Amino acid sequence: MTPNDRKILVIGGGMSGLTTALEAAESGAQVVIVERSPYLGGRVTQLNKYFPKLCPPTCGLEINFRRIKTNPDITFYTQAEVTQISGQEGNFDVTIKVKPRYVNDNCVACNKCAEVCPVERVNDFNYGLDKNKAAYLPFDMAFPLKYVIDDSVCLGSACAKCVEACTYNAIDLAMQPQTINVKVGAIALAGGWDLYDATKIDNLGFGTVKNVISNMQMERLASPNGPTEGRILRPSDGQEPKTVAFVQCAGSRDENHLPYCSYICCMASLKQVTYLREQDPEAKASIFYIDIRSPGRYEKFYWKVRDDENVQLIRGKVAKVTQEPGTDKVIVEAEDTVTGDKVRQTFDLVVLALGMVPATKAMKLPLNISYTEDGFVIPASLPPGVYAVGSLKSPLDVAKSVQEGTGAAIKCLQSLGGR
Amino acid sequence: MAEEMVVKPDIEFIKRIQSAGGESLKKCFQCATCSVVCNLSPDSRPFPRKEMIWASWGLKDQLVRDPDIWLCHFCGDCTAYCPRGAKPGEVLGAVRQVAIEHYSTPTFLAEMVNDPKYLLFLIAFPLILIGAAIHYFGNFSPEGPVVYSKMLKPWPYVDFIFLGAAAYAVAVFAKGVMAYWQDLNVNPWKVRLKENVWLAVAEVVKDILFHNRFRKCTTYFNRSTSHLLVFLGFVGLFIVTAWASSYEWIFHKESPYAITDPIKWLAIPSAISLLWGIWLVIRDRQNPPENAGPGSYFDWLLIWVIAAVAVTGALCLVLRWMGLATLAYPTYYLHLVSVFFLFFYAPYTKMAHMVYRATAMIYAKLAERE
Repeated sequence: MTPNDRKILVIGGGMSGLTTALEAAESGAQVVIVERSPYLGGRVTQLNKYFPKLCPPTCGLEINFRRIKTNPDITFYTQAEVTQISGQEGNFDVTIKVKPRYVNDNCVACNKCAEVCPVERVNDFNYGLDKNKAAYLPFDMAFPLKYVIDDSVCLGSACAKCVEACTYNAIDLAMQPQTINVKVGAIALAGGWDLYDATKIDNLGFGTVKNVISNMQMERLASPNGPTEGRILRPSDGQEPKTVAFVQCAGSRDENHLPYCSYICCMASLKQVTYLREQDPEAKASIFYIDIRSPGRYEKFYWKVRDDENVQLIRGKVAKVTQEPGTDKVIVEAEDTVTGDKVRQTFDLVVLALGMVPATKAMKLPLNISYTEDGFVIPASLPPGVYAVGSLKSPLDVAKSVQEGTGAAIKCLQSLGGR
Repeated sequence: MAEEMVVKPDIEFIKRIQSAGGESLKKCFQCATCSVVCNLSPDSRPFPRKEMIWASWGLKDQLVRDPDIWLCHFCGDCTAYCPRGAKPGEVLGAVRQVAIEHYSTPTFLAEMVNDPKYLLFLIAFPLILIGAAIHYFGNFSPEGPVVYSKMLKPWPYVDFIFLGAAAYAVAVFAKGVMAYWQDLNVNPWKVRLKENVWLAVAEVVKDILFHNRFRKCTTYFNRSTSHLLVFLGFVGLFIVTAWASSYEWIFHKESPYAITDPIKWLAIPSAISLLWGIWLVIRDRQNPPENAGPGSYFDWLLIWVIAAVAVTGALCLVLRWMGLATLAYPTYYLHLVSVFFLFFYAPYTKMAHMVYRATAMIYAKLAERE
């Protein structure tokens, strides 16, 4: 038995990956986490509240981060990517490329660098709702709590104002990419998901009609660490929306876009209705749907929202979204299939319930495995010792991701132990 | 639609729709994207979402009398945006085919028209009829310069055969349209035929002449142009035919007419319009937009018949000018056969759409269903 036999590689540091890593490490394995973004926590970090208990993300993630911090068996790399995997179960050779962060461990997150930084970038964490500086902290509770410099916009050593401003010698603009080789016995794939690109849906107005936003942008608007500090304001003029339309299956269950159901968007919209209704007792919400999918115990949550008198449920898919001439309001058109007549309603804000695209749709793993047409990993095609977790296989919610993460930890441990 | 109803599915009808181009019908999950993306669909009880569920349930009676199946011009926008690939445009096309069959008499003829295995039989009828007329009353290869009336005299032979075919078609159409109107003019949009009928007719004629509704299409916008060319070609040639009849019966002017004769100034552009239009139809249907099919046998039968009429007609003129009698006379024979086919079978082929669609459009105007 070599030391490698006790090592597990986890690709992806979101809820699925973290759970796999922690459960495995706390059972005695050594774990390496490779995460593409500069922080751990994945998509959950971007939510205002998450199911099933409607906790804010820090509530569940903080404890995980503490478990990582205090566990010497976990190593993690952010801004990192697995570029090569060879070998077989029990003895994989893995190459990891780590992009330079340009900020070292001296960073105390004092924000001085961002204050002097002259360059702005689109804030991807907030889904483009605002901008931040090229030297930035992804969000206030980011882990690791270290700033990042975005080298796609940074002016480099010609500017170096941040280097001057930093009193901790935390910034190194000459930092180089690193290549790390590790040997592991088992691998868990937890690459997660990206939001479907709404600009591809040409009849729903995203990107062309003002005040049409995505469901993830709605999470950011409602989130206390979001661009509006938790106040839901429509982007065009910062007004509080009095009427909001939720467009379900925006590009989902649609063979022209995503042919599958993303499982949680109905619940996400219902949850977002509660954000709106808690913010403004007079606000009205309309949900346009094909059928409301509230799996398992979520049904009760659906009943609660449905019974709110300021919530209108219209059975019919929205197929046209246009700007009301001369205003920032949005006209939404659907056929109410219950009455059999067309409805044409005007709203202050329209939220598109967009689905999940597996990360492996755009970026294939360096493994000889098969994917569905939509980019999901086909578990049966995985070689021994490699396991897929969470939304890489099919869309799911956080609770199921955690369950799957635990399951994958067991599988990895069995794989190691069986040798 | 709160009223209670007992669904009695007509399984055969569902299979018919599926085999006539609506094979993806059952994929529909009633999301109603189609009703919204359709530029022609009215706000009150829009189509084609309701037609999709009626078809799925096999409600034939409800569908064949539904004016909305004719308000659809098969723009293809519904089919392009359908999230399930259920092809509402194709399904409605198939329903129209069944509706044409439903209102035509005798039904067996309609069934034969819709079935490729009877095609030769259907062609054989005018081939033998006109062939026999030429054999007994005319001449297959007359001497001298090419003059088509030498092959078969317009009066009484050509006129008798073709006026007969036209009269037959008109009678079948009349019976069908009367039955259709009866079924159509019920609640919720029952209308009374009062003084505004002619106004509605005039508006519909204007809409048809300019293809106002058809030109609202997005996905298949090209189709409205090619259809307009074919339509205007036919209108022109209809006028030419009436004009020629006046030459024959009133002015006793013998054909062929010189190129300087004003009748040719209408005839030749009309023929070009028809040829060009039908060529565009064939070309566009061979490269259908994404999601759309190339069309059914029912569609293609009419396309090829019109193409045959147009091509043989144009060739007759060219071959006469070239003085190629050995080719000109057989071509003229084939031209007569194809025109007869077009006229005589019109109530059963897709040609019937002009009558039922116009009826539905007038009804929709009267019922203010737009």
